Amino acid sequence: MDTAIRTRELSKQFRSHAALRRLNLEVPRGSVFGYLGPNGAGKTTTIRILAGLISPTTGGAEVLGFDVVDRCEEVQRRIGYLPGEFAAYPDLSGAQYLRYMAYLRGGVDWSEVERLAKRFDLDLAKRFKTLSHGNKQKIGIIQAFMHRPDLLILDEPTSGLDPLMQREFLALLRETRDDGRTVFLSSHILSDVEAVADTVAILRSGELVVTKSVDELRERALRRLELTFAGPAPIEVLRQADGVQEITVDGDTAHVEVAGSTASLLQAAAPHQIVNVVSHEVDLEAIFLDYYTARS
Amino acid sequence: MFRNVYWKTLYDQRRGLGAWSIAIFVLVGLESALWPSIRNMPDLKDLYAKMPEELGKLFDLDAMSTGPGFLNAELFTLMLPVLFLVYGIGHGARSLAGEEEDGTLDLLLVMPITGARIVLQKALALLTCVVTLGVTLFVATTTMSLIFDVGISAGQAASGSLAMVLLGSEYGALALAAGAVLGRRSLATGIASAAAAGAYVLYAAGLMIESVEPWRPLSPFDQALTGGPLGAGLPAAYLWLVGGAVLLTLIAMPALDGRDIAAHN
Repeated sequence: MDTAIRTRELSKQFRSHAALRRLNLEVPRGSVFGYLGPNGAGKTTTIRILAGLISPTTGGAEVLGFDVVDRCEEVQRRIGYLPGEFAAYPDLSGAQYLRYMAYLRGGVDWSEVERLAKRFDLDLAKRFKTLSHGNKQKIGIIQAFMHRPDLLILDEPTSGLDPLMQREFLALLRETRDDGRTVFLSSHILSDVEAVADTVAILRSGELVVTKSVDELRERALRRLELTFAGPAPIEVLRQADGVQEITVDGDTAHVEVAGSTASLLQAAAPHQIVNVVSHEVDLEAIFLDYYTARS
Repeated sequence: MFRNVYWKTLYDQRRGLGAWSIAIFVLVGLESALWPSIRNMPDLKDLYAKMPEELGKLFDLDAMSTGPGFLNAELFTLMLPVLFLVYGIGHGARSLAGEEEDGTLDLLLVMPITGARIVLQKALALLTCVVTLGVTLFVATTTMSLIFDVGISAGQAASGSLAMVLLGSEYGALALAAGAVLGRRSLATGIASAAAAGAYVLYAAGLMIESVEPWRPLSPFDQALTGGPLGAGLPAAYLWLVGGAVLLTLIAMPALDGRDIAAHN
């Protein structure tokens, strides 16, 4: 069994609002799966179904081979879950709260809690209500990771973390994956997902728009190149090259947008006395935004 | 204290229970302290006889010339029931609906224990807290009776305290069940309070209006208060209260697993 999460035509209806429409998702084991989409796209709805907090209207989902409705306990035993709006008891200290969760869960090695707290530089003796938003979030993260679950289902986990802690958290995700475990990560922070995810799914208005590996997305990404020639830019020649989408000319410099490989373009340009080539970073954000807003 | 939902809930209640216990002690103390001067009032019976007949029935004024009768009228037929109801309903509504609204229920439900077990442990914690208040009331009543010579026996105090515990538990269980089913604390509080007020009206009307009288035993207030509650012994009617609380808990047990849990915002 190499699939951590599989949904079949998963749909959820809240009164007249279709929060999720016929979602078919497959999350491979041992990977970090980024679940992207604008606010209200249905990310949290999906996650709450997977965690067993709400039931699907139609369709179904399996987590680690267990049906999320019929075998809810089996699923819950094996996952770590961080809700989008994590809340603990205001009057309990971090240690008290985590002890409570550890007892309810059973089989938690307390040294793991201490290790995580140290890693995230968190004082467990402080009461929850006195903690900053970021430190509260760290308690939620520790709570999700402390029993070393096979699958982590995390809803907007980096919310409130400072850049340093964000980096530490992303490192933790990579280690979790390298350990053979799976991370299902919802976010609308594209850079986070881009930094750790192997595969991304993009959701819009309750529908899955695309599922692709990050590498694949990068390959299909539009690259922007600036080619400067000794003389006037040979626009017509450049236009013939594979993948060229758009060319604008500024004196001797051609600004070219290419989809996929740039080999053909460079071959075409080479005989025309190139003086300089500037290649811009592939901008995944632009692709994501494209998927977010695209009509179909 | 954090081994399970039951102990954690008791831990949360520790301060509140302390404050409520003190309040009950003070209230019973003050009322008992009045007794010596009331008892020595001349024409006490004449005074009660002048009161409206309905009022006499509602507070059992005929019996007010005795210590137990006095405390029944002054405390155990209205003031203490209200206190136990307020505590029970407040605790019951907070139990599950409060946690759901605060967003802390999510993680309890994602733990590998069933929703039914969470409900059951919450209900047992509620019962334990109400019983604690009942024991406090018992201790306060017997102690103050000794100090101020009110003449209430331990048995009488026990039946009075038990009646309060049963009343508080039943409406607490109603608030807990309503919270488990509906997920909203204000709604749970409202439903349980309205039910209690309705039951009291039925009880009072049953005492005063002849045509309502046959319906009166249906009211939990009648079940708890008739014949006492101080000195009522162990009337069979108490079983209705026990049965009601148990039934409400059974209704609540499958509720969390059977419905969608609202996301916290």
